[in-house]
Amino acid sequence: MSRSETPLGTPPIERLRTLVALLENPMLARIYVRLLRSDGATVSDLVTELDVPQGTAYDYVGDLEEAGLVRKTRNERPYEFTAEPISLTLTTDGETRTITAELVDAVGRRETDADVDRYLERHGVDGLATALEYAHEYVDGTVNHRIMARELDLSPLEAEVVLQALEPVVLQHRDDE
Amino acid sequence: MTWAYVADTGVFVRCGGPGGEKYRRLRSAVRGAGASLLVPRRVYLELGGSDEPYPSSESPWQAGIDDGWIVVADELEYANPLVSGIMDAARRFIANETGRPEDRIEKADTALVGLTAQLLDDGDAERVVLLTTDKPAGRAAETLVPEYGFPDQIEYRYVSEAYLERLTAAEFSAC
Repeated sequence: MSRSETPLGTPPIERLRTLVALLENPMLARIYVRLLRSDGATVSDLVTELDVPQGTAYDYVGDLEEAGLVRKTRNERPYEFTAEPISLTLTTDGETRTITAELVDAVGRRETDADVDRYLERHGVDGLATALEYAHEYVDGTVNHRIMARELDLSPLEAEVVLQALEPVVLQHRDDE
Repeated sequence: MTWAYVADTGVFVRCGGPGGEKYRRLRSAVRGAGASLLVPRRVYLELGGSDEPYPSSESPWQAGIDDGWIVVADELEYANPLVSGIMDAARRFIANETGRPEDRIEKADTALVGLTAQLLDDGDAERVVLLTTDKPAGRAAETLVPEYGFPDQIEYRYVSEAYLERLTAAEFSAC
């Protein structure tokens, strides 16, 4: 079962395909997040800032636009793009999980942050999403790494490492709100 | 006046690898002031230490112990009613702050507060500065240590990325 907001009218299941790709492809995720933070960025901005090959950048922006996650803010060359916020809630076997721009951002950081990469390797995207929930509490001061470690059966050191790795993601997305 | 600096696990995690700028800055600030960082035994164990030196050349905090500017604190004196009392109070405080049942909070969570009280009670320090990323424990120390008879003798500093980036010996100059 899923519930999604589809501001541009792209059929939800078509959009789901690209949302899943965002969680599997860190470069696609980084492009999406970069566009989300911009009122209008060109493909060449992405090439320069994210060090992505030009052909790949064009393809990925095209895929995101087709899925309705990105739209043009300038309709003549050079085109400029911005991204739409996402929120897709999935419920499977009574467990609910929401795919948000923040989670996509966290996944995208596996390319640049070895601690995020290691955590994803060990605990998968669902594990990272759970860690992100703890990271919110950590930033708010309503949890510490020791409590997280006990509740998730991790070592306290691993908990503190991932909490610190996710802290900037939480802070960035709070700024965006 | 004797100041003691107590450091938590998150401080060393925040420093990153041994070659990192933040680790070098912390080392230079602490050593430049002629100070040292005390770590509770629980923290030492969390970092991967034991009674024997941790056999890892990768680990910057271990080098700090070898160099003497990071010091593993004495065992907590649970028999001292002040120490055990403030640790119990810290457990209740942290449970309340984090919305967890009290039995979910263990000694590791309260060791920072316990060590702070012990240092003050034993007269090893007149003032304790607590460096941590554990906000619930930091707030517990800030709130409870004065209530247990040590007003104006505890200071909690949250160790953020920005804190480590601007760190100088002035942070540790009152030892």
